[in-house]
Amino acid sequence: MAIKLIVFLPLLAAIIAGLGNRALGNIPAKVITTGALFVSCALSWPIFLSFLGGDTQAFVVPVLDWVRSGDLNFNWALSVDTLTAVMLVVVTTVSALVHLYSWGYMDEDPDQPRFFAYLSLFTFAMLMLVTADNLVQMFFGWEGVGLASYLLIGFWFKKPSANAAAIKAFVVNRVGDLGFMLGIFGTFLVFGTVSIPEILAAAPAMAGSTIGFLGMRFDTMTILCLLLFIGAMGKSAQLGLHTWLPDAMEGPTPVSALIHAATMVTAGVFMVCRLSPMFETSETALAVVTFVGAATALFAATVGLVQTDIKRVIAYSTCSQLGYMFFATGVGAYGAAMFHLFTHAFFKALLFLGAGSVIHAMHHEQDMRYYGGLKKEIPLTFWAMLAGTLAITGVGIIHIGAIPALGFAGFFSKDAIIEAAYASGTEMGSIAFFVGVTAALLTSFYSWRLMFLTFWGKPRWIESEHIQHSVHKTPETAEDSTGGYHPHESPLTMLIPLGVLAMGAIFAGFVFHHAFIDAEQGAAFWNGSIAFDEHLMHAIHEVPYWVKLSSTFAMLIGLGTAFYMYMRGEGRPQALANQFRGLYQFFFNKWYFDELYDLIFVKPAFWFGRLFWKRGDQQTIDRFGPDGAATLVSYGSKVAGRLQTGYLYSYALVMLLGLVAAITWVMVR
Amino acid sequence: MSVGNSLYLVAPEIILSASGLLLLLIGAWGGFKSARLVSILAVTALFASSAVALEFLLNPAFAEGGDAFFGQYRLDKFGSLTKLLIYISAIVSIIIAPRFFDNVAGGRSAVMRPEYPVLIVFAAIGMGMMVSAVDLMTLYIGLELNSLAAYVLASFLRNDERSAEAGLKYFVLGGLASGILLFGMSLLYGFTGTTNFNAINQAFESGLSTGALFGLIFVLAGMAFKISAVPFHMWTPDVYEGAPTPVTTFFATAPKVAALALTMRLAIEAFGSQIAAWQQIIIFIALASIVVGAAGAIGQTNIKRLLAYSSINNVGFILIGLAAANQAGASAMLVYLMIYVAMTLGSFVAVLDLRDADGNQVEEISSLAGLSKSRPGLAAAIAIFMFSLAGIPPLFGFWGKFLVFEAAVQADLILLAALGIAASVIGAFYYLKVIKVMYFDESADVVVKSDSKSHAVIIALCALFVSPLGYLLIPVLGNIADQAAAALFWAL
Amino acid sequence: MIGIEHYIVVSSILFVMGVLGIFLNRKNVIIILMAIELILLAVNINLVAFSAFLGDMVGQVFAMFVLTVAAGEAAIGLAILVIYFRGRGTIAVDDINRMKG
Repeated sequence: MAIKLIVFLPLLAAIIAGLGNRALGNIPAKVITTGALFVSCALSWPIFLSFLGGDTQAFVVPVLDWVRSGDLNFNWALSVDTLTAVMLVVVTTVSALVHLYSWGYMDEDPDQPRFFAYLSLFTFAMLMLVTADNLVQMFFGWEGVGLASYLLIGFWFKKPSANAAAIKAFVVNRVGDLGFMLGIFGTFLVFGTVSIPEILAAAPAMAGSTIGFLGMRFDTMTILCLLLFIGAMGKSAQLGLHTWLPDAMEGPTPVSALIHAATMVTAGVFMVCRLSPMFETSETALAVVTFVGAATALFAATVGLVQTDIKRVIAYSTCSQLGYMFFATGVGAYGAAMFHLFTHAFFKALLFLGAGSVIHAMHHEQDMRYYGGLKKEIPLTFWAMLAGTLAITGVGIIHIGAIPALGFAGFFSKDAIIEAAYASGTEMGSIAFFVGVTAALLTSFYSWRLMFLTFWGKPRWIESEHIQHSVHKTPETAEDSTGGYHPHESPLTMLIPLGVLAMGAIFAGFVFHHAFIDAEQGAAFWNGSIAFDEHLMHAIHEVPYWVKLSSTFAMLIGLGTAFYMYMRGEGRPQALANQFRGLYQFFFNKWYFDELYDLIFVKPAFWFGRLFWKRGDQQTIDRFGPDGAATLVSYGSKVAGRLQTGYLYSYALVMLLGLVAAITWVMVR
Repeated sequence: MSVGNSLYLVAPEIILSASGLLLLLIGAWGGFKSARLVSILAVTALFASSAVALEFLLNPAFAEGGDAFFGQYRLDKFGSLTKLLIYISAIVSIIIAPRFFDNVAGGRSAVMRPEYPVLIVFAAIGMGMMVSAVDLMTLYIGLELNSLAAYVLASFLRNDERSAEAGLKYFVLGGLASGILLFGMSLLYGFTGTTNFNAINQAFESGLSTGALFGLIFVLAGMAFKISAVPFHMWTPDVYEGAPTPVTTFFATAPKVAALALTMRLAIEAFGSQIAAWQQIIIFIALASIVVGAAGAIGQTNIKRLLAYSSINNVGFILIGLAAANQAGASAMLVYLMIYVAMTLGSFVAVLDLRDADGNQVEEISSLAGLSKSRPGLAAAIAIFMFSLAGIPPLFGFWGKFLVFEAAVQADLILLAALGIAASVIGAFYYLKVIKVMYFDESADVVVKSDSKSHAVIIALCALFVSPLGYLLIPVLGNIADQAAAALFWAL
Repeated sequence: MIGIEHYIVVSSILFVMGVLGIFLNRKNVIIILMAIELILLAVNINLVAFSAFLGDMVGQVFAMFVLTVAAGEAAIGLAILVIYFRGRGTIAVDDINRMKG
């Protein structure tokens, strides 16, 4: 029963707030949605903790019969196992906190009920996704979160860039969804069912079988896994289908924290983990997953180095961290992937909400170049951001002798992934290891760069147009670089979520790492809900010390470089950028992915679209179809009008002609 | 078969004839002043006849019906049901008249006259005879009784040129049509040796001579004029536009019901053994009516003219049921007719309710602009009628169309059904245009508030009937229509 | 010997003349009224001839009805024509087209 409440309370709240909208008023809408989410959250934790304590077995709660059609039979059911429980707490906790945070952040927005309704709708769809018992229900949730994401990115629909970003997110996700759909169709074709447990039970037996397509034989499981993985790539913004995520930052910042950092974008990772027994049957698929994940981790980190928009830096960081999770799944460390997903949800939501708090303080300025010296102005935000940064860069001490490992959340999860990549022993695994370490260095650099630019140094606020607008001064007229602007700390509704998430960012790794990734405890905890590889988990403890320390070193180098570049002397980053002009431009322009896609896909698509629209639709179908019919009708109406001359004799003539025609017809027939 | 029994079976007509003659005398003595009294009495008489018709329809003792006057006249459920519809239309036409005639601008004759209800009553008698006729002679007398009253009614506004022209056109073309009809009857009589429907049918069973075939076609052509089916529809828009609006209301409902019922009876009871001879003609007429009705309506600016084309269009759909030539088709036609009467009465009364500040009738469609703001209730009612006439699903008008198409499909006339459905899309255009003008156009502020409670009640009742609530009546209406349709086929 | 066919031919000719009279004539509405009478007479010839030919009284009774109705119809037609003339001052067929389209 609790699970039904968890899932459907957000839906109920979304319906009430959405339909009530302005008639309902801001406060009731906010109270209803936020209240519903906190109840969901409060109900989720006991479920998670009982799985943690090993008290609960996986269970399925049927809701409705859904489809009964020939061979295609499935119910709408809420399936809860360890994997779901982990996602439940992540989703409901972050969502509840983001709801609360939005009270402060969206305070001046005229459309608050709509915003909260969307947030709650998103949460419902996400819960639908994670509790899915079959692929169709998962797809329903998958599309539901996509819809909510679209609505929320385009929440400020009067802003053209927000609309464009929303459409881009939708379209790029569509590419991934097509893969996912084909994967579902293929799975149904091969296994004759869409029920996830049945598919996973039957998957090992299908390993090695082949399927004919276009006269060629393909490995069945590889094809299915790759198709499903394309879906995951779209949703989780992996290299190739990642272009929508940075643009999605056009949405309100709480949305970025909830959807585009903590929950929705991890749906791909969740899906791969959920279907891990399937992926385990195809080495090719796993290699592809590893490669794509590693490439994304590296690519996004390089782009993150040079971005100036605070939210975009964090967005690329998210992209990069998702890459980590994927290559963890690729090397078979599903527990580590889920662990990183879990900790990442806390520290990344924290970073986003912290960034939101900074943006809120800086009068909607998002460019870090115009920040600086904010440490004293907004200290609570600073401490929260610091906790998040320490967590993402993976600060901690490895387990030496009797001293247990100590560190921030990211330390445990990221190190586990990097070590697992090394320990997996495959070629792709060792590539992933080196990429992972490099990316850790870059992560450290851009994270600290963000911190240094924002909180340390001298204020550079007056350069910002937003600040100028606020204080009615320009750099020329201002007496100093603050322009007399006084950033103010965010309200309590925004600080409380920051505090809670900071706790998560600090302690989540230490508290839960045994359960998630320890070889014995992990196997008991996951209890078959993912393909948990105990040997691999053992092996990560056996890796050489230099491997264990590599990521810490990478972190320190990144920190040192950032410190050297941004804290010691002016102009160093500029000088470096000038020195490596080409590379800088390459990174700054996001490896020219958008331009490339524009050239390869968008322009030809427009060309085709115009061709079909002008030639195909307007000049062929419309001309002979609807327009032709309309012309014919209006012509017919003119004829009918003209026949109606008003003269008696012509009326009589028509009658007589009708009579003669009828007679003729019956006579000659 | 005593004369007494015969008189009993024609009780509705007897009531109306006696009261019609009496009212004529009252009107003649009382002059203008008696108009109100005559109207009330005429409505009372029509109600009394309706009660008798209802009794005949529902009382199981009359389930078998009966022949009166040596096979000239038959009482059955079919006749009773259609009579009921005719009387209701007549009652509404009388109730709405005084407000119209008393408010026509200028002229001495612009007052309600006592002759109006009397003529309606006489027309109702004629139509009652038409739907009960099982002999060509009764048919002819009924038809002419109706027509002669109708000619006068059309030109009832003597000082109005358009009204006089409407009467003249109606009269000349009506005369031609009854000439054609009569000539056909004489041929039928000559080549079958009888004027009785059943006897004609029996004579047809052994084959169809050329003369009889001519007769059949001529008779159907005469009927097509009465139901204003293409190509005998030419009079309709002019007469509907020119005749006073209450008269148009009457023309669009009662005579349509009577003529369609008579055509049904003729086609089934008299020509039922030679379906092949007329089926294709009816199919052509039906499709032509749908298409011409829709095409003609598109260019119209006068709402009465638009409704005239709309009635041509609807008659086309009803004829699809006749083309099916089966019991389901006849039943579908009857259900359609009931819905059609409600839609048409509602729309015309709504049109009658449209007056400008000077009290003049508003007939231009463009003057309806902004009606949704000045008269939201009326605009909503008109919208309901228009959507229903267009046959858009949640409204009851859809059900009638659905039934006739279903009957056509049952009779293997799939192409006819498909074409009919396609053509109904064209029809939707002009109905939607009216709604667009009312709801989306720049307000013209022509129409003022009306204080007529009787109009409001009639419009509300009709709107309620054609609203989706009407679907609740389907079992009742369907059952009655099925029984009435069965009565037609019972004789075969 | 004059048979039934001759009667039918005569009546048909009368009928066609009547019909032609309605729409070939563009001058006077009165002529149209006469044409309608012609059609009804054609019908009556038919009915009486068939009645005699069939040895059946119904046709003659029918003819009586038609005559009666025709008288009424002519009266009403003329009445309408009178009010039309009062309003417009003309009864030319070509002028009767206030309403069209």
